[in-house]
Amino acid sequence: MDLDFSPAERDFRAEVRDWLSTNAPGPLPSMDTTEGFEAHRAWEARLADARLSVVSWPEEYGGRGASLIEWLIFEEEYWAAGAPARVTQNGIFLLAPSLMRFGTPEQRRRWLPRMARGDDVWAQAWSEPEAGSDLAALTSRAEPAPGGWRLYGHKTWSSRAAYATHGFGLFRTSGTRHKGLTYFLFPLDEVAVRPIAQLDGLPGFAELHFDGVYVDESMVLGEAGEGWRIAMATTSSERGLTLRSPGRFLATADRLVALARSAGDPALADRAARCWVEAEAYRLHTFQTARRIMAGEEIGAAASMGKVFWSELDLRMHALAMELLGERAGETPWLDGFLFSLAGPIYAGTNEIQRNIIAERVLGLPR
Amino acid sequence: MDFGFTDEQLALGATVRDVLRAHCPPAALRTERRPGWDQLAALGFFGLLLPPESDGLGLRLVDVLPALEETGRACLPGPVVETAVAAPYLVAGAPKLASGAVCVSVLPPGQAYAPDADLADLIVVAGADGLRLVAKEAVRLTPRPGVDPCRPLFEVAFDESERLSGPAGPALRRATVATAAQLIGVARELLAVSVAYAGVRTQFGAPIGSFQAVKHQLADVAVAADFAAPLVWRAALAVEGSAATADRDVSAAKAAAGEAATLAARVALQVHGAIGYTEELDLRFWLARAWSLSAAYGTTAVHRERVRASLVAGDLGRYP
Repeated sequence: MDLDFSPAERDFRAEVRDWLSTNAPGPLPSMDTTEGFEAHRAWEARLADARLSVVSWPEEYGGRGASLIEWLIFEEEYWAAGAPARVTQNGIFLLAPSLMRFGTPEQRRRWLPRMARGDDVWAQAWSEPEAGSDLAALTSRAEPAPGGWRLYGHKTWSSRAAYATHGFGLFRTSGTRHKGLTYFLFPLDEVAVRPIAQLDGLPGFAELHFDGVYVDESMVLGEAGEGWRIAMATTSSERGLTLRSPGRFLATADRLVALARSAGDPALADRAARCWVEAEAYRLHTFQTARRIMAGEEIGAAASMGKVFWSELDLRMHALAMELLGERAGETPWLDGFLFSLAGPIYAGTNEIQRNIIAERVLGLPR
Repeated sequence: MDFGFTDEQLALGATVRDVLRAHCPPAALRTERRPGWDQLAALGFFGLLLPPESDGLGLRLVDVLPALEETGRACLPGPVVETAVAAPYLVAGAPKLASGAVCVSVLPPGQAYAPDADLADLIVVAGADGLRLVAKEAVRLTPRPGVDPCRPLFEVAFDESERLSGPAGPALRRATVATAAQLIGVARELLAVSVAYAGVRTQFGAPIGSFQAVKHQLADVAVAADFAAPLVWRAALAVEGSAATADRDVSAAKAAAGEAATLAARVALQVHGAIGYTEELDLRFWLARAWSLSAAYGTTAVHRERVRASLVAGDLGRYP
């Protein structure tokens, strides 16, 4: 057992740190505005030019074939540098792992390089008005059409869909519940999109209405009817370390301790110190998980433990910052961070569902 | 970066687990003062950290963490941490230490009482002028009331003692990490027995473990233990690698492990209900161990305060 970074990993960290220190822009307008969306997209193109947008991907799709540890290092440096939130995240963190695993070579070549540059920006379309935590209750459907399918139904809480170019989600092609669902990719230009303002007043969500939108066979990911299995592989990445790596929380924790130190209140400083250690615990836990993944183990249901831990830590950190700042919070980035952190225990499977998964599939309690 | 135990480290833990299952069963906690010690001694357990010149194996603390976790899981009585982990860095030259024939208790700085001093052949006492070594013959012990029936506390008085010249830090840091490892074992055992009970105890026609109100509490214990453990492993590496952050890393580990174990105890009691609130159920031994070890080698509050002081002073460096 050791916690030592190799010389190559240290060099990689130095390169990333150096590049970010000269290239990372200051704060951009919110990605949920027209102007901010384009600014974030332009930033993704710059990252891609430096082959830093998707370091862990194979070179042929725009990555560097970096190891999991190197990817974690990249994330630490990225968030420590205060670089912009990733407008491509639904694509690169949620869809891409499924494309790599279940996509055809043609699908991978067609979509991954464009995704890596932000040329295409993907929105996820899981939830429906009557299918949230109970995702298998979804009723959107796809009907066979010559050479492809027609999509019908209603998706909602679709993150990024107000500005994104493409979406991915599950549609029923046969059967009931988990059986007979198919994973579709679709361009958003023929879908009726109704933006929905989130707590910050900006349209981070949208509602999608499908009224016979045609997609050809190349837009099916995996086999028809296999959508649930493929989606679960995606949600496992979402809950696990791909979506929310430790770097983000380490950076928040450092800023929180600095804020608490300047406030001078020992009780609040104690809470900040606790959060700081918890961010370290998440980092160390992730190094341990990375070792298991690199040894070929499936993390499976244990990913739910990480999701509960990071989402509630993030919320505690931002809630404490709000307490420390009082009415000045709105003048700082902490307010937006607080609002965003409130979503953490809800998205990617609510924390109630995660605790059920931990209890039933990790601990073996009866259903 | 290889942050996980080797097969050898895990095998040592498994061996200790098997020995303690056979020789330190819950029933022995009621009748014996040091169940399993002879068998552990026969394995060479008490020489694991001693250098070869003291007939030990010269292992690193990290090598024995799974084994120490098992001593917590088994609720092993007796001054295990003091004899197997602290003594090699305090009195490595004491004869027969590696054989397990000599039992050591420690009264650490900041603590009022020495644990398991009734069993000790040697007691190391931290005083204003440093460490003193007291032999069994020279000590007067007064039992003090404590929370843990298998880890009794004693006030220590003595006339004759020998001054120990070495620093206390290396032994105390390791003993604190070892105690944290035991707390992880205590937490995991409390979780395991609670999950087992929730699976068989039926109310309203269903196992209580099928109710979300119960499930979610047990899930929280699993999360707390799973995220405290890597802090303990890191602390062991930091201490032996003399990392600049070692003291803070030790405190972070002890606080997190203590909180995970006390949460596990709280939830275990709630899941068991009234039967858990009795002396006759074995659960009581693990509840008591969670509380007693949380207070050993610095309470959770003491360690939280050390972490806070370090961070407020501006040291945000991390290991690694």
